[in-house]
Amino acid sequence: MRSRRRGKKTENLWLVLCFLLGSYLYPPPSEAGLRERVSEHILSNGLKVILLENHKAPVVTFQVWYRVGSRNEQWGKTGLSHMLEHMMFKGTKKYGPEEFSRIVQENGGDENAFTSTDYTAYFENLSADRIQVSLDLESDRMHDLNLQEDNFQTERMVVMEERRLRTEDNPQAYLMEQLEATAFQLQPYHWPTVGWMENIKNLTLADLKSYYHTYYNPANAFLVVVGDFSQKKLLADIEKTYGSLPPGVKPDQEKAIDPPQHGERRIFLKRQAQLPFILMGYHVPNLRNGDSYVLEVIATILAGGRSSRFAREFIQKKQLVLDADAENSLLSKDPGLFLISAEPLPGKATAEVEKAIDREIRRLQTEPVGTQELRKAKNLLEASFVSSQDSLFFQAMLLARYEIAQDWRAVDEYPPATDKVTPQDILRVAKQYLIPENRTVAVLVPLTTEGKKTRGSEFSLESKTVR
Amino acid sequence: MKREMSMKRRSITKVLVTIFALGIGLCLQGHPGYGMPPVKRSVLANGLVLLVSEEHSLPLVTIELLIDAGSRRDPAGKEGLAYLTAQGLLLGTKKHSEVEINEKLDYIGASLAVSVGRDYTSLRLRVLKKDLTEGLELFLETITEPSLPEEKFHREVRETEAAIQSSEERPEVVAEKAFRKKLFLDSPYSHPVEGTRESLGRIKREDVVKFHSAYYCPNISIFTIVGDVTVKEVEDSIVPKLSAWHHASVAAEHFSTTFAGGPETVEIDRDISQANIIIGHQGIRRENPDFYALTVMNYILGGGGFGSRLVDEIRVDRGLAYSVASFFGAGKYQGSFQIILQTKNASAREAISLAIEQMKLMQRELVSKQELERAKKYLTGSFPLRLDTQRELVDFLSRMEYYGLGLDYPERYRSLINSVGREEVLRVARVYLYPKKFILTVVANLKEAGMAGPEGAASD
Repeated sequence: MRSRRRGKKTENLWLVLCFLLGSYLYPPPSEAGLRERVSEHILSNGLKVILLENHKAPVVTFQVWYRVGSRNEQWGKTGLSHMLEHMMFKGTKKYGPEEFSRIVQENGGDENAFTSTDYTAYFENLSADRIQVSLDLESDRMHDLNLQEDNFQTERMVVMEERRLRTEDNPQAYLMEQLEATAFQLQPYHWPTVGWMENIKNLTLADLKSYYHTYYNPANAFLVVVGDFSQKKLLADIEKTYGSLPPGVKPDQEKAIDPPQHGERRIFLKRQAQLPFILMGYHVPNLRNGDSYVLEVIATILAGGRSSRFAREFIQKKQLVLDADAENSLLSKDPGLFLISAEPLPGKATAEVEKAIDREIRRLQTEPVGTQELRKAKNLLEASFVSSQDSLFFQAMLLARYEIAQDWRAVDEYPPATDKVTPQDILRVAKQYLIPENRTVAVLVPLTTEGKKTRGSEFSLESKTVR
Repeated sequence: MKREMSMKRRSITKVLVTIFALGIGLCLQGHPGYGMPPVKRSVLANGLVLLVSEEHSLPLVTIELLIDAGSRRDPAGKEGLAYLTAQGLLLGTKKHSEVEINEKLDYIGASLAVSVGRDYTSLRLRVLKKDLTEGLELFLETITEPSLPEEKFHREVRETEAAIQSSEERPEVVAEKAFRKKLFLDSPYSHPVEGTRESLGRIKREDVVKFHSAYYCPNISIFTIVGDVTVKEVEDSIVPKLSAWHHASVAAEHFSTTFAGGPETVEIDRDISQANIIIGHQGIRRENPDFYALTVMNYILGGGGFGSRLVDEIRVDRGLAYSVASFFGAGKYQGSFQIILQTKNASAREAISLAIEQMKLMQRELVSKQELERAKKYLTGSFPLRLDTQRELVDFLSRMEYYGLGLDYPERYRSLINSVGREEVLRVARVYLYPKKFILTVVANLKEAGMAGPEGAASD
């Protein structure tokens, strides 16, 4: 959720937390037997309910996932899914604006929501005896949102501030946006989830109303509840609160897929920044194709743990980069990108870093990975999986993300599928996907800061960031 | 870089705090019918405090060693020493090279995280139950027998310098840094934990070796272990290993803390779209008995996310910010109070005066009964949510011990919060908020913000 660069150097608790959370998600693990412990039910109006009892603490996480994200938007209306997410807190006929959050807080709970290319999700984490609060509030806003012009105008300003905060003033995030806009030409992954600023500015209440009408209904949503409850009783309560909602129509979810790329694309971004940054995105399939699991193992070999190839070669041996990472997109609904990123150390050229990355890719394509190293990567994935189960929230999120990408039951395929990856698979997959013809390279070129007040040593790293 | 997976509705909001530790956001309390998981506390002969809590739902163990060796112990001129010492643990031991240690840890899928704060340094190990013995062995080896090869030490310094440079493009970091520098006149908390590019250059390998032998001692440390392990297993196989760590006397410390009084303004020009604003002043020590009344007061002012006054005024009513929050950072020594927000350059002045007005209002009038009730219900009711993972529990237990709150703290917390009345909230607002004597820090495109020049920001 909190997507943040792995802060090897920026030491503080929150970043370490983010690091841990990041690794929970990154090798999206699975567990044999989740299929047996999870139950699925479909109400008569089409609402799918996914339940997992976990009694280790007297708490529950209640999550509502809508099958709508920026991939469902139209050109010119980018950012609409996320805008609607914000408006979901602005009240229904029954509850006034912001009352949702207040009620949850008064019950000692936390709530929030998040939007991606593929989904919009809402959650409450609550003491187990307060679960009815979620049922009442979430079922109400699934069908009865009260969209009003005045608070829409204000909230649109908030979203613009959000975009400024996350993207406009963050050169690395801006670079990522540019990379995706270049790598994807046909797929809706072309535009950012938050939307282009020009589009956000021009969204209307009518846009929101029609979008809400199309995508927010039981047939296009599912619930995931994990925690300390009894399935039988909870299911009856869910039936009571959600059962009477009108079913709605399943919206069309088919989207165009980019045709194969024939030649490298390369872009440069010139921005005020301290250090350059390099990003590479290779088109890859998602979990519907078995090669995706091989790419999971490859990402771990390249960048998992402190003894990964990137850590050893780029950080410890050559002292080329401050940080380097590799990440697969197993769980995207449409095919995504295998991403490699690196931040060169001062004085090191991006070209040199790029060459070093290319050398590592070539190594994957030509030298079979040794038994010990392959075992290590698989052990890292396994341990990461087990610890991801420590949080009810992430357990629910894992099920939901598989459900969005394909089917929550696919979670169970992850351990065997990654475990059976062979050195030959790695050679083959690296040769098939990790080739220049199939990639987009984005380079951040720092502009000097002439004419600006002194920066530099006077203001250096703090140990703490609040967000 | 992690891909931006999602855009959230809000950024931090309720996770409001903890600069140093058990901040106001990590408030805990036993929920009705909810007992803390049992904790066994003991003190070993070498002075090490041992906390054990069993949790067997997963074959996983989480360990934290908290050492009272944060950056406050950095000698003047060698800021960053505590940080480099902790980072240096990962560069190899007397028995294993850096590569070997990392290979071994990764092979068992263990994760070893180091973090340095102003009060203490924390070393955390997460390991599968089946690999606990090996993981613990490596963990203790890095802590007690680091070899700190000269060449690797220099690499670490260079990387830290680069990280400092990299962070200078983050306006929120620049703002926080400038704010602290201005506010903390004489305080162990004034300098950045990582030091500065100048101070790092003055630190030699021998300084690190000396710092390590002076402070990495069992008698100023807390060892907390949570997860799939029994008290008996800990006593039989782990205590003997911990007992081998030698007690060493640690010199008494003496720090004074003085603060700039304000009003003062720090303006830093950047070519960015938002003004990154910090309004703040001196705060409190963690041991201050008003901590709990302040927790409630701050929740209402700006700590409580949606429903807090700052969020209502600045975000919900006017759409001026995505994120606005306030907090007290309370450590062993006096920390700071801060309101942090970002708004488009052109709205900077308006947002600043709205925030200050809320500080004043807090001092002028009693909070409403509703606000008080909501704050108490959230603070006391959200307890179990905060401890539902091994990591959260380990963090909580170590800090509870570090700040001397006692094992009965979770039970006491509820009554400490519930005993706070409206008059009490008003009193602490009047004592601890300084709406006329703050340090205002603005990192922005100053021209767009209408603030160019030292006199530009009429702060009040």
